[in-house]
Amino acid sequence: MRSPDRLWDRGGPEEARPVAQGRRSASFLSSEGLFAWLMISPGLVLMVGLGTLPLVFLVSLSFFRINLTNPAGNRWTGLGNYIRLLADGQFWNSMQVTAIYTISGVALQIVIGMALALFLFRVFPGHKLLRTLIILPVILAPIVVGMLWRTLLLTPRFGALDYISYSVGLGSHEWLTNSRLALLSIIVIHVWQWTPFAFLVFLASLHALPVEPLEAARLDCRSWWQELWYVILPLMAPAIVIVAILRTIAALNAFAAIYAATEGGPGTATQILNLYIHNTAFVGLSIGYGSALGTVQLLITVVVALLFFRFRMRMA
Amino acid sequence: MRPLASSSTAASPRRIRWQALIAYPTLAVILLVWTFPLVWVLVTSIKRRTDIFTAPPTIFFQPTLSNYVFALTARPVLANLRDSLIIATAATLITLAVAVPAGYAYARLRFPLRRQLSFLVLFMQMMPLLGLIVPFFLMLTWLRWTDSYHGLVLVNLSVMVPTATWLMITFFQDLPPEMEEAAAIDGASRWQTFLQVMVPQAAGGAAVTATLAFLTVWNEFLFAVIISGSRVRPVTVGLYGFLQFEESLWGPLMATAVMAMTPIILVSILAQRHLIRGLTLGAVR
Repeated sequence: MRSPDRLWDRGGPEEARPVAQGRRSASFLSSEGLFAWLMISPGLVLMVGLGTLPLVFLVSLSFFRINLTNPAGNRWTGLGNYIRLLADGQFWNSMQVTAIYTISGVALQIVIGMALALFLFRVFPGHKLLRTLIILPVILAPIVVGMLWRTLLLTPRFGALDYISYSVGLGSHEWLTNSRLALLSIIVIHVWQWTPFAFLVFLASLHALPVEPLEAARLDCRSWWQELWYVILPLMAPAIVIVAILRTIAALNAFAAIYAATEGGPGTATQILNLYIHNTAFVGLSIGYGSALGTVQLLITVVVALLFFRFRMRMA
Repeated sequence: MRPLASSSTAASPRRIRWQALIAYPTLAVILLVWTFPLVWVLVTSIKRRTDIFTAPPTIFFQPTLSNYVFALTARPVLANLRDSLIIATAATLITLAVAVPAGYAYARLRFPLRRQLSFLVLFMQMMPLLGLIVPFFLMLTWLRWTDSYHGLVLVNLSVMVPTATWLMITFFQDLPPEMEEAAAIDGASRWQTFLQVMVPQAAGGAAVTATLAFLTVWNEFLFAVIISGSRVRPVTVGLYGFLQFEESLWGPLMATAVMAMTPIILVSILAQRHLIRGLTLGAVR
């Protein structure tokens, strides 16, 4: 594991060799510049052609009324789709559901992942086996996770978790079809699948912490709690922020597990923005309006990504 | 620097006892919470229907393979697995072929627009999947490329190429400069330096990237459910179709899930070191 002061040095040759900073980079025609462009161009063509251009196309589509069921009605509407969006109750509902899902999901992953990492960060017999087993939910397809929770765990009466809930006196419930429980259930499913990721990252970061401040803290701090609050958590702050941002981006891209578990229902209780875009564009076939919703999703992602970049720059 | 884990001798014996007291129950709870559902999938897949729908759940039962037989004969599971294998393998190979040279160039060479383009790489791997699939669906429909292997490979590449390039950049940056400089002094060409000196050193990183790419494409559902049709259907979509129409056939459903996830679990066990490194790398660095 690298030492913390190297953790954030992700810059290229220029950052690594400050001398080079004032120097102009190699020109297109120099042998280095030409060779480099040959090396990056296949990847660049794929990335721009399959990623950047479709996103530009998405934004342009959002200014048209396009419905695949009625091609004759396709026309330019300017900001029409965005005006419709402002008055669309389903859109605002999906924003609210997305916010609750993302914020509570990420917070729970961090708190639980950190707690588990702190309890288990010493090397103990069997820790390799634990790492092998705990990574399994992360590598499962989200569609499988959603399916397994919907059937084996949460089905009233026959699901294992529902049975446990019933046995301990909490009662049997319609976990995924009751509008008050469904959102909670899909958050639990998300947290179950992804907490092992946060746990493994925090475990790796704890093992990479410098020993000296911790040993000093052990002498200075009166309690384990003080040591945690004043020494360990501040040292872990960069890892926590990175996990928070990465998991936020991932939660904003959530789809398959919810689709398998509730399909956004009951009603619109678990319809996150992604599911609303999907239903608008691919069920209702309103590509224009779906693109406007997709553009909102793009803007949200860009804001989160910029936060990530700013944070990385500050660390560097 | 000494790793923290080895410093337990510095702690008082009382502290160690207290930590062991709390660590082992925590461990048991973790294993129960995160592995029981997976064990339950496996167990249900070999239960007869009468053993599945019982309350309380049965623990002792006569195992059966009939669910596997049913799934394989009534559903096109094998064809779905073949489609997943083709798409994931093709996408992984293409991703590696473009990401390894690009990662090397971004990490080690100086060229115009290097900063701007590496920023774009970082940016593109965070882009929203729903925002990509709406225009992609329209374009593939125009080209009549929906429901085809190349359509599905292309849409997966849109996400995998920037992600893999970024991983390869970090791996090449970590390599020491000495070998590269020695090769230059020996008069090796740029291409020879890359292929014979740098690629062998980055082989571990390429394995991490390949594992992650294969896993991501195999598990991918959103693109697949929109782009695939009756001819080409990855196993994730096949499984969803099964769930949609036969939700109560838990036994065959779980048997299908086991067959769909076995390749992934095998890859993860074989490439375990790579996998954990690949998954946590973006976060720890």
